[in-house]
Amino acid sequence: MSSLLSKRISQITSNYSLLASKRFQSVAAPANVKTFKIYRWNPDTPEIKPKMQEYKVDMNKCGGMVLDALIKIKNEQDGTLTFRRSCREGICGSCAMNIDGRNTLACLCKIDAEKSSTIKIYPLPHTHVVKDLVPDLTQFYKQYKSIQPYLQRKEFPKDGTEILQSVEDRKKLDGLYECILCACCSTSCPSYWWNAEEYLGPAVLMQSYRWMIDSRDEAKEKRKEMLQNSMSVYRCHTILNCTKTCPKGLNPGKAIAEIKKTLAAA
Amino acid sequence: MLGLRSIAGSRSTLQSLSRSNQFSFNSLRFFTIPFLPTLPQNPGGVKGDINDNLIPPKPNKLASSTHWKLEKVLAIGLIPLVSMSLIQGAGVGSLVDLGLSYTLLMHCYVGFQSCIIDYIPKRVYGHWHNRAMYLLTLGSLLSILGIYDMNFGEKNNGAVSLTSKLWTSKNDKVDEVNK
Repeated sequence: MSSLLSKRISQITSNYSLLASKRFQSVAAPANVKTFKIYRWNPDTPEIKPKMQEYKVDMNKCGGMVLDALIKIKNEQDGTLTFRRSCREGICGSCAMNIDGRNTLACLCKIDAEKSSTIKIYPLPHTHVVKDLVPDLTQFYKQYKSIQPYLQRKEFPKDGTEILQSVEDRKKLDGLYECILCACCSTSCPSYWWNAEEYLGPAVLMQSYRWMIDSRDEAKEKRKEMLQNSMSVYRCHTILNCTKTCPKGLNPGKAIAEIKKTLAAA
Repeated sequence: MLGLRSIAGSRSTLQSLSRSNQFSFNSLRFFTIPFLPTLPQNPGGVKGDINDNLIPPKPNKLASSTHWKLEKVLAIGLIPLVSMSLIQGAGVGSLVDLGLSYTLLMHCYVGFQSCIIDYIPKRVYGHWHNRAMYLLTLGSLLSILGIYDMNFGEKNNGAVSLTSKLWTSKNDKVDEVNK
């Protein structure tokens, strides 16, 4: 037992020394420069067309994620670079952007430091741009509001306690409730590009399904009725860009398919 | 409140810009049909104030869930019809032939209808949406007559035998002529 423990301790200490030596090496190593091409547009100077601006960052002095590089650029090179960010760990959904052609969260997107290729960063596609990498998500939030994403019941427990749910019923919400509404999936959907005014888009539809199958909710019929038109759901043509791009690994495509099945059974 | 106002303000500048903005890939101009006139659009697709409720279209089962079921029935129905025709070739029964032709026609109608709703929406093209739908319906009605003629016309023997003629070798044709 004691020999095991001492072995483990020596392992840990050797790991630490390895880390320390790596850190020491990284300071001494030659600069590992990575180029970032970032979409720039300023609403204060609308006569200047949007352009791609280049920034060079030494990866030895920068964190591993794209958001680290963006913050480093803003701090050290160009204070006017504008983007949304908050939690830096993939739970707030603020830093959704198009990085190297894929919608993802900058804080969850690792920079490939080995390759010398440039990284291109655009705002979410087909959104109106407020400034630089900041998209206007007004329509997206309005659509989310329209599906009434809250518990609806005739009666709540009179003593103010929670509404109980079986383990099986709770399990149905797994893979749906984790959505952080970053809009990566909706803005990657060609159908949403053409018809964002009327088609609700994968993120909002997945939340609609989340409330539809909640055993505690009693407004199922009303929720289904709202989707019974040619635009809200049926503009989904199972392209599945949503599922491919989701930075949280969720499956909005499947949720929409389930909605279609529920509506067809009604 | 100030934040909301500034967003609304920037949206109105965006609206005035969207025509001249060539670089931006969210410009509407790239995704419209060049020869059709378009209606003016709300910037970012937002109707009314940002706090106004979004009003969903009126429920219409015929255009939604019933339509979806029909699409699936047609698509699944095509599987046995197509495979039977492929296996039996020109000798397939006329009922299967007729069934295949009309099911395929309905399948195409539903598919093109979906394309029109997607790419020529009423919201952007106004009455051109209806005209496209009329054109599709007219073409489909003509096709109904065409398929009837293809199956029951004097010189014709159905869609499957017509298709299988594509694979008839030159020698066969010569033989037919010699006879």
